Amino acid sequence: MTAPDPNAYSLDINDPEDAELIEYFLGELPGRVDAMNAAATNDDLDQLKTIAHQLKGSAPSFGFPAIGSAAAELEGNIRSLNDSVSDFEAIRGEVDSLVSLCQSYLFPKQ
Amino acid sequence: MSDQSINQLDTTPVVLLIDDSQFVHRILDARLRSESISLIGEHDGKAGHERALKDEPSLILLDLDMPVMDGYETLRVLKDDPKTRDIPVIVLSGMDSSQDKVAVFDLGAVDFITKPFEITELRARVRSSLKLSALLKMLAQKAQIDGLSGLFNRVYFDDRLQEEYDRAVRHGHPLSISMIDLDHFKSVNDTYGHPAGDTVISGVAQIIQQQCRSIDIACRYGGEEFVMIMPETTPEQAKILCDRIRQSCEAVSWSQHPSRAVTLSCGVVGADNGEGLTCTPAAMLEMADRNLYEAKQSGRNRVKATDIGGTLIQIAKAG
Repeated sequence: MTAPDPNAYSLDINDPEDAELIEYFLGELPGRVDAMNAAATNDDLDQLKTIAHQLKGSAPSFGFPAIGSAAAELEGNIRSLNDSVSDFEAIRGEVDSLVSLCQSYLFPKQ
Repeated sequence: MSDQSINQLDTTPVVLLIDDSQFVHRILDARLRSESISLIGEHDGKAGHERALKDEPSLILLDLDMPVMDGYETLRVLKDDPKTRDIPVIVLSGMDSSQDKVAVFDLGAVDFITKPFEITELRARVRSSLKLSALLKMLAQKAQIDGLSGLFNRVYFDDRLQEEYDRAVRHGHPLSISMIDLDHFKSVNDTYGHPAGDTVISGVAQIIQQQCRSIDIACRYGGEEFVMIMPETTPEQAKILCDRIRQSCEAVSWSQHPSRAVTLSCGVVGADNGEGLTCTPAAMLEMADRNLYEAKQSGRNRVKATDIGGTLIQIAKAG
């Protein structure tokens, strides 16, 4: 399967229905970021996988395809993870960049 | 045929979403708002199955990847339950290998939608599944409906009698049935022709339908014979109802033969409560037939009613 064009689902902030979804997603995002940080601290891979899976499936529909792609990559890497420490560090790195990506939407640079 | 279920085609279809992610509920809630559907939701498979039993949705949108009871298991439960088996299920999933798709089609899903959603496609697939399910429902109903009278047919009657009988026994409720036969119907056909006879059949069916209450199930049994199942109805109440049908029929002036009235005879049998249902549904039908025969023997254009023990039901005249 070819990956969907990441821009295909971006939403229009001027459309009321789109705006409602964007607003909802931004409202939910801090909770997910906190949960991801906590899961990474506790090495809770199952929880990380669940959050990544949900973001992968839903972020593009809320107008955030880049979050969706990053989450998809994270989920895929967790699924194919073997027990080596270096892999684990790589996952932590991916969580950090996904978190920063989310925060770039929450706290855009002026 | 005043049974309520027949009217479901006219109402806004209910679509049930089963997905553990609140995100998906929000997306579909917004994106399907413009569709003429009523969207309801549950967050896990078990609750989804229970909701499907309760609200009888026209379509289920089911997520595959859920904790506790996943989509595969939920689909299996839905398809194993005779009450939910015929509800079409569209699977929503981020897993999109051919293997996953084949597995859910094998389990009985009608369609597969990949996350993230392409909204236009999602709407089109929901619409097409709803259309298909409405057509299937209509076909299923047509297979239960007698073409000439518009009443339920005999096959449907046999199924429903057993169902209503079991229900009455289980809850200890009253149940009555009646068998109705037009008097000297052959002479209508012979004298005025078969089209006139057909008009009488559909006209009497209409009278029966008008007099029936919403809980009654009226069927054409064959030829000029009709049967009615009257749930929650004592034989005495059933006799009153059937006598109203008899009187209405007698009072009709038929445009093709104004001087020839059509009358009917009727045999009623029933029990005041579930404990009184001491015979099989088939034996009950035989009793109704016997009462009909006796109504014919004693002069036609009358209703004979007994309880299952054979005790004659007489209606006390007011005043």
